[in-house]
Amino acid sequence: MKKRSIALMLATVLAVTGLFGCGASSGSKGDLAGKTANESSDDDSTLRLAISTDIVSMDAHRTTNDYLVPMNVFDTLFAIRKNDDGSTEIVNSLADSYEISDDGLVYRFTLKDGVVFSDGTPLTAEDVKFTFERILTLPESAQTDFVIAIDGAQELLDGEAESLRGIEVEDDLHFTVTLAEPFAGFLSQLAAPSTVIYSKKIVTDAGDDFGSVPEKTLGTGPYIVKEWKRGSGLVFEYNPLYWGEEPSAKRVEVSVMEPQAMNMAFQKGDLDIIDCLFLDAAVIDSTYKTDAYKDSLVSVDRMGLNYFMLNENAEPLNDVRVRRAIQMAIDRQSILDSIYSGDGKLEDGVYPTGCIGYSEENQGWLSYDPEGAKALLKEAGYGDGFDMEIDVDSSATDAATNTIQIIAQNLSDAGIRANINTIDHASWLDLRNSGDMSSYLALWILDFNDPDNILYTFFGSNENTVIRSNHYPDSEVIARVGAARAIVDEEQRMEEYAALEKKLVQDDAVWVPMFSLKHLFVKSSRVESFTPQWAGWSDIYFTGVVLK
Amino acid sequence: MGMNDFWKLCIKNKSVTVPAIIIVSIMLLAVFAPMITQYDETRQDLLMRLVPPQSGHIFGTDELGRDVFTRILYGTRISLSIALFPTAIAVAVGTALGILSAYFGKWADFAIMRLADIMLSIPGMLLAMVVLYTFGGSLSSVYIALVLMEWGSVARVTRAAAEGILENDYVLAARAMGVRGYAIIFRHILPNLIPSIIVLFTVNIPSSILAESALSFLGIGIQPPKVSLGLMAGTSKQFLFQMPWLSLAPAGMIMLLSLSFNFLGDALRDVLDPKRRAV
Amino acid sequence: MMAGLVRRLSGVVLVLIGVMLLIFVMLRIIPGDPASVLLNEHVSPATIEKLTESMGLNKSLPEQFWDYLKGVLKGDFGESYYLHQSVNALMTEAFPYTIRLACMAAAFAWCFGIFSGIISVIRYERLLDYLFRGLSLLGISVPIFMVALFLQYLLYYRWSLVPLTYDGSIFSLILPAVVLGWDSAGSIARLTRSGLIEQMGEPYIDTAKAKGLIHAKAVWTHALRNAILPVITMMALQLSGMLSGAVITESIFGIPGLGRLALTAIQTRDMPLLQGTVLFSAFLIALGNMAADIINTLLDPRRRWG
Repeated sequence: MKKRSIALMLATVLAVTGLFGCGASSGSKGDLAGKTANESSDDDSTLRLAISTDIVSMDAHRTTNDYLVPMNVFDTLFAIRKNDDGSTEIVNSLADSYEISDDGLVYRFTLKDGVVFSDGTPLTAEDVKFTFERILTLPESAQTDFVIAIDGAQELLDGEAESLRGIEVEDDLHFTVTLAEPFAGFLSQLAAPSTVIYSKKIVTDAGDDFGSVPEKTLGTGPYIVKEWKRGSGLVFEYNPLYWGEEPSAKRVEVSVMEPQAMNMAFQKGDLDIIDCLFLDAAVIDSTYKTDAYKDSLVSVDRMGLNYFMLNENAEPLNDVRVRRAIQMAIDRQSILDSIYSGDGKLEDGVYPTGCIGYSEENQGWLSYDPEGAKALLKEAGYGDGFDMEIDVDSSATDAATNTIQIIAQNLSDAGIRANINTIDHASWLDLRNSGDMSSYLALWILDFNDPDNILYTFFGSNENTVIRSNHYPDSEVIARVGAARAIVDEEQRMEEYAALEKKLVQDDAVWVPMFSLKHLFVKSSRVESFTPQWAGWSDIYFTGVVLK
Repeated sequence: MGMNDFWKLCIKNKSVTVPAIIIVSIMLLAVFAPMITQYDETRQDLLMRLVPPQSGHIFGTDELGRDVFTRILYGTRISLSIALFPTAIAVAVGTALGILSAYFGKWADFAIMRLADIMLSIPGMLLAMVVLYTFGGSLSSVYIALVLMEWGSVARVTRAAAEGILENDYVLAARAMGVRGYAIIFRHILPNLIPSIIVLFTVNIPSSILAESALSFLGIGIQPPKVSLGLMAGTSKQFLFQMPWLSLAPAGMIMLLSLSFNFLGDALRDVLDPKRRAV
Repeated sequence: MMAGLVRRLSGVVLVLIGVMLLIFVMLRIIPGDPASVLLNEHVSPATIEKLTESMGLNKSLPEQFWDYLKGVLKGDFGESYYLHQSVNALMTEAFPYTIRLACMAAAFAWCFGIFSGIISVIRYERLLDYLFRGLSLLGISVPIFMVALFLQYLLYYRWSLVPLTYDGSIFSLILPAVVLGWDSAGSIARLTRSGLIEQMGEPYIDTAKAKGLIHAKAVWTHALRNAILPVITMMALQLSGMLSGAVITESIFGIPGLGRLALTAIQTRDMPLLQGTVLFSAFLIALGNMAADIINTLLDPRRRWG
């Protein structure tokens, strides 16, 4: 009997600990936050959004994917405004004014007066210098390309210098930046979320908590992060110390949801904007391209190129005729129509529609020609076809996975036996960076509106062609890509970019240009108007949403 | 109970034969898939996307215009192979180690059982994910993951059963008379264990099927263009409410298979356990 | 009794070290390079090299393991590569969500499982028996994500009874808990039922019946007490299944718990984080097994420490 009572006691203790565990944690922060979230959802000034995977860092220097926090909690020196005709222009943000020297090398900036971070720390020119130096010295920095144009940046990156020579702080509001060589895209880079300005004091005080702990990740932007529950979502609140115009949404709740859950939540009125990128075209067609939602659809051109990359480091893809045959074998229009229900436009070059440097002359030359592809393959000595591998990132969207399966079928119709090899994201990146990936489908969306952004990334140096698993061999062309960014005369620069585009895609068949897509969003009846990010990113500026 | 008695009891028992017949017919469907359907499981027809069930496509078509019925047949092939092979290997390995553990005792027992403890104290899904990420999302890595997940519990059960057998008077007598090693294992232990091994095999199969579908749902199991039932159900989750045939058909097949194996396992266990039969 | 406890504890420690070694070695043969995941699109080989060095990945394997073991013994699981927080802090943050979910799921599984098991026996071979048996078999035959999607559709979309995903309130955990507890409930129901049926055949039940106790009462008082023993053992062992299921449940319902953390860790090659979560889960399971053992030994006079 005694033993039984001990057992009973033990069982009770276990049960009570369990309940206490539940009770204690339910009484704490989580539950309260949950309640306030529920209550304020009914509030008119709360915007409710969904993302499909949680962000991993709030620090713009440590990510190239998750710009939600950098875009809404921090500010850049400049901003991009998109005009009604689709053109873009650079406007001041934290910068109040600037002057450029005649040789295009020296930029003198004046900061807006009176800007403070959300804890009251004033913004100074020293913070700008600190930010740029941090981009170059942080070991896992993902943004070094954005400030590499500055004089002395390479030395700092290589650890050969102590500070960034090209930035000189005059006083709290004035500083000059000297470039290593003229670069027309520099101001555009300063408008990208990659170069948001941090406070030296806040970042230094926070240490490793910066970018991970909301209370310590403070910026000058319109919002502060109130709460971040990993895997669950984020809550933003209006920053009362924000220097700019007060946004319409005072509170923004971003939840992590599976696509089908987003769909249900939006239809039930629990989401204010749904990103159609996560939904299949058939679902969008049958649910949202209907009379009921016709006026709620918001469409923006995604300034990005979907491309199918071919690695030239091995046979038979090193033969230009084989690559050209692949260009001709893929039925791009069918893919666009069936997978994306036609919401996009075929692209034949490097710079997507809307990108500065986009050349009409380089368009329209590529058409679907399976017979021609077979003939070319025969000419190249591959009349019986060959085996090739397409590497797919397992975290790719369903649409991308489906596109690859169609490409594989197109290729097999031309006699090329394409084997689809699906690997996880990390291994995929590793393989691509090693330069040994045979072929892959990917998308490049502009970080800043300049042809240099896309051209330099892929063909700016031998190193870059390896990282992209491309191995483009013509070093003369590579040198021209590097030199093009320094051409001061704008007209001359654009001519050179158009010539390079023709050489790379038409003459050398370096990749298969696929298409650019429209990015659709649907807004609920609570939203008056919604302006997506200019390049059509999934991450949006909350200030672009006006609630009713 | 000897093997012959066991078979006789099984064949007489309707709760054994009915699920067994269902399972065998599904297996036949999967094996003879190319003769049953006129379509190719990967062949796309972009003009026939998401067609609802109709004549010619009895379960409709999917988002790339592939025939869902055909894909279910081929998906069942892979899902069945995932259900059978790794489970068989896990049961074989587990049984062998369990018997060795019971027979030799001492340090062998200690080593094998601690190894089983290690495997069993890692949550199955985490263990599988580590394996899949180590070896990539191929069919063979799913096999490896499932074998690692399952052998431990099999070893534990067979060890306990084998210990029971070793304590039997006739085995003790045989050992006292100097019968050693293989003779004991193959003449006394193994034959007596076979019915329980069959049950273990049967009850482990549904969990293999479900584990595969969970991994495919997370996007780390079988990868397209290969097709498994779990992958079909997982990738079509978006269409669940607008085009339900896409996910309900594979999910129904998963259910039918696991239910049949569960029923079969239950019935076999009842056959083995006279006490339960009596009720 | 103390000696038994000590022996069991040392066994647990041994197993945990084994788990650590196993996961450590497995993660090191993975092809992906953690440094290249951290650096995404804009990346140069020099940066990758710099980062690999700062992560200590250029050291030899035994050195890396020794460093890690030393840390763990001091209670330090290292720092997450990706999230730049100590693994301890991340797990402490995530653990309450998972344990809350698991508690609720277990509560559901036990109540529903034992209840339906009892009903099944009381209404043996009648409609209710078949109904509950069918439900519990369904629980262990349908993929957990299908159950989740279906319940989300029905309870949220159609009937507006529960929130779609986790919103911080206990209320929104009910649906995930039911989903997670579903298959455990099935196994518990089956075990309770078979245990009870076995007990009904024992002579003491006949004695009880002879004494005039009605059928239902006999089930409750006598058989249940003996049939519940294996069920209690099973409850503790199901912790492992719960932690497995939590990976899927948490990702469907957006719950920031351990399962989610482990999934993120694997996807990002975050070795310290993955090692931490797996080891911690193994620790919890080992504790659960020990608790089951102790309760069992105490309840069952025939068993002794050993």
